[in-house]
Amino acid sequence: MMLSWEFPPRTVGGISAHVYNLSRQLAGLGVDVYVVTCDFPGAPEHEELDGVHVVRVDSYKMPSPDFATWDYLMNVNMQKEASSIISSSDDDVDIIHAHDWLVANAAVGLKHIFRFPLVATIHSTEIGRRNGLHSDYERMIHRTENWLVHEAWKTICCSQYMSSQVRWAYGLSADGVMMIPNGVDASMFEENFNKPEFRSKFALPNEKIVIFVGRLVYEKGVQTLINAMPKVLARANAKFVVVGDGGMKDFLMRQVRNMGLAHKILFTGFLDEQSLRFLYRCADVCVVPSLYEPFGITALEAMAAKAPVVVSDTGGLAEIVEHDKTGVKVFAGNADSLAWGINRVLLDSGYAEWIKSNAYSGVQEVYNWKRIAVETKALYERIYREYEAGSWKPT
Amino acid sequence: MLSVLRLVIFTWEFPPRIVGQLSHYVNRLAVELVRKGLDVYVITYHNSWTGFHEGMDGVKAYRISDPFRPHINILTWMLSLNQEVERVAADVYYSVKREVDLIDVHDWHFVPAAVSLKRAFKIPFVFAIDSLEDHRSHDSNAPLNLSIKTIESLGVNEANRIIVKSDWMKYEVNRRYRVPLEKIEVVSPDSSRWIDEILAVYKRELKVMAS
Repeated sequence: MMLSWEFPPRTVGGISAHVYNLSRQLAGLGVDVYVVTCDFPGAPEHEELDGVHVVRVDSYKMPSPDFATWDYLMNVNMQKEASSIISSSDDDVDIIHAHDWLVANAAVGLKHIFRFPLVATIHSTEIGRRNGLHSDYERMIHRTENWLVHEAWKTICCSQYMSSQVRWAYGLSADGVMMIPNGVDASMFEENFNKPEFRSKFALPNEKIVIFVGRLVYEKGVQTLINAMPKVLARANAKFVVVGDGGMKDFLMRQVRNMGLAHKILFTGFLDEQSLRFLYRCADVCVVPSLYEPFGITALEAMAAKAPVVVSDTGGLAEIVEHDKTGVKVFAGNADSLAWGINRVLLDSGYAEWIKSNAYSGVQEVYNWKRIAVETKALYERIYREYEAGSWKPT
Repeated sequence: MLSVLRLVIFTWEFPPRIVGQLSHYVNRLAVELVRKGLDVYVITYHNSWTGFHEGMDGVKAYRISDPFRPHINILTWMLSLNQEVERVAADVYYSVKREVDLIDVHDWHFVPAAVSLKRAFKIPFVFAIDSLEDHRSHDSNAPLNLSIKTIESLGVNEANRIIVKSDWMKYEVNRRYRVPLEKIEVVSPDSSRWIDEILAVYKRELKVMAS
């Protein structure tokens, strides 16, 4: 049984797509998968989705003092509903799999009540998101994460970078953490569409398209991209398309206006998934200039969509991209370096072709959901064997 | 028919931890129930004294502590303590061959644990209300107070039966949470037959469950 605070159509960050893909591939391998998640307007309370039993619980809609307290209250509902499902289902649940601290309370409670082994996937850490811990609020979330990984039989991280960060942040031993990468479904990018027409909504025919996809927050480094614009435009005619929303949007828009470059950039806000997939396929470069990036799913999506990538040499991105082979790596937070990387791709079409075809074949081999599900299932089976050999399992 | 009635009490205060009068009340309740021949477990909180302790009075107390700190308000504190209550309650449940008859939860703090255990193991629970958030907070509808009230609401709705200490409280619970009066039992702690009346409520509830 997987617990996740987001699942399609509810999409806040990357966990939603992760849990969607992982759960349906696991179901394809014959695992009986339940996903317990938060409700969403218009989405059914119960549905079967590609063999996955999806249960959406009341996500607590009364006013609450802050996000973390809301989350704890939501967990009360989640655990209550999950307890009913487990005790009434004919075929037993064997393992609880929690995604991030947001479901820690429900997951730990279910573990103890039913005595199931708990698996936790840590997608990102509070100490990484905030670049340190600066208040009791942040410390509490950090300690919640710490609690979850110590209650878990095994913690999964999606990159080597995250594995080492999790070990450092929570003092876990090496065998407490397992790296299973995130995946991307390349077949999602094969749909037919009218490319020139779609492209014309974003840029003039003679402009190259440089895209950024992500929340507009400091750690995603979109400000570095804007600072790199003059240097890129000095050598190439390009349009910068920024997809996503966030607290820095007004600041960034003011910045481009003050630079006199407002006509060379387009802030699209949040895009629907299909438009985003098409946009990736129109992009001449996809830039991921993050300062902190536990994994970097946007880079993977771009690679699967055959868009050349220019990424910061940091975190999970550093592992996904091999410089000069599957993409270009630049110094994080350095606008000159970023401009150099973008121009390198825009001005040399042979080079762009080389990295994008290498990237595409690499993505299909390593970041393949089926393979990821096989590894995850093997981990479940190993944990279950260890669990059965012990005396904690109720008789 | 079970020979000995086995009861687990959840309370956030129990001697030596004394916040208000509830601690003394629950202590007296537990001791008297043992005298009446019940197998009584108390699961409670203490910030440093943890683990199992069986007193001379025969009450088996498990004290749990914070699984982590810090907290930003009483809700996040209590809601994470509930997982520890569940852990210990499950330990008791599995160690007595799953023969726990009833859970008695005092005030809102450990209501979520009682609800989850009821749903998981079909153990009925009685919700004993000493005070309500509306009274403690002078009807405040600030988000924190509202959130505590939703936990109380969860408790009154999911409980098999509610016990209060006065007629006034019975009508307050009825009025504020729209609970039918038939679901609420009044047992005054000052009554000479207090413990027998409490026991009668438990037994009636178990009989309802059995039938």
